[in-house]
Amino acid sequence: MLKILGRNTSSNVQKVVWLCEEIDLPFERSDLGGPFGGNNEPDYLALNPNARVPTIDDDGFILWESNACVRYLVEKYGQDTPIWPKSLQDRASGGRWMDWASTTLSPPHVPVFQGLIRTPEAERDMDAIARARDGFSKAVAVLEWWLADHAFLSGDDFGFGDIPAAPFVFRWFNLPIEREDYPNVQRWYDAIAARPAFKKNVIDIGLQ
Amino acid sequence: MLLVKGRNTSSNVMKVLWTLAEIGLKHEREDIGGPYGGNDRAEYRALNPNGLVPTVIDHDLVLWESNTIVRWLAANHSLDRLCPADTGDRARCEMWMDWQLSVLNPLMVPVFHPLVRLPEEDRDPAAIAAAAAKWGEAWKIFDGHLADNAYAGGNSFTMADIPLGPLAYRWFELPIDRPNLPHLRRWYDALCARPAYRANVVKIGLV
Repeated sequence: MLKILGRNTSSNVQKVVWLCEEIDLPFERSDLGGPFGGNNEPDYLALNPNARVPTIDDDGFILWESNACVRYLVEKYGQDTPIWPKSLQDRASGGRWMDWASTTLSPPHVPVFQGLIRTPEAERDMDAIARARDGFSKAVAVLEWWLADHAFLSGDDFGFGDIPAAPFVFRWFNLPIEREDYPNVQRWYDAIAARPAFKKNVIDIGLQ
Repeated sequence: MLLVKGRNTSSNVMKVLWTLAEIGLKHEREDIGGPYGGNDRAEYRALNPNGLVPTVIDHDLVLWESNTIVRWLAANHSLDRLCPADTGDRARCEMWMDWQLSVLNPLMVPVFHPLVRLPEEDRDPAAIAAAAAKWGEAWKIFDGHLADNAYAGGNSFTMADIPLGPLAYRWFELPIDRPNLPHLRRWYDALCARPAYRANVVKIGLV
């Protein structure tokens, strides 16, 4: 059975777990990283020298980088599911949002999330958090631009390209921050939030 | 005709131009971004609201995110060569492509940007040296992979090497202290033997 190594409070682990449930792929998950540690132990580093989570073990095939894991699992086990766009062009177009979530959406979100959720109140740098929030908002505005003309990041239907951005957008809507009005992002997020696998693996985990 | 919008001095544009040269695909290119500007204009933002380069127009597809463009071109025009046909082999390539985005590139920026794009009096040498040391730690991870693999994706040159290549040029050419990473050096020398890499990365230099 597929093994997923990584704590379920990591947004990068959440992407992979959520994907597996969307395509009904059974897996076993073990807690690693964050408060659980273990990610700097030699046996983990032998699998993943970056010491980050997640790492997957698919019957001996080892892979890390969460977006690469999502692409691999959906291609191998999910091609007959509705979240696999049938044309290469649609997969490329939807897939760009996976890279974009790594390059553009996640970096400004990190100081906001880390500052407000994983830093004691007395140690928070509120000016730095406010500056990062502005960058986070600018990135969400790019989603608004696309979603004004498309139901989903993957096009007309929900696809695997929608997955990496969504845990960050959950944080956008749930962190105690000022939020501009992005009605199309709200509509897209509501559609994502209605998916049982997202609710279970992202919303119900909450901000930790 | 395939159109690439973006200045050829951007490491992200280099990935795309190098891929096109490896495939032998005809294209046109417009200088946008950096000193050329244009990436803040409404007509560019209408294609790519991030305002970054490159953007590629391939018939009715408008695509950005450089690694996505490399994947698209490789899958469409070079299946079983730049883009492995096997799902697992391809996933191993994509892992290193994603690693370039998530780990290696953010560590390159605080080394490259001050050394190349800031006047000497505005540089903080201690901060640059510390950033270069951290960047080296990341290269060490890739060097470890190359101890057992000729290329990022395994035994042969693939799309996995392409996002890493422009950064490797900067690593070896910038005036910084470098740990001895022999496997990385061997891989870099193999890239430098490729005419398409020399034309689209090495010849452009550090700008």
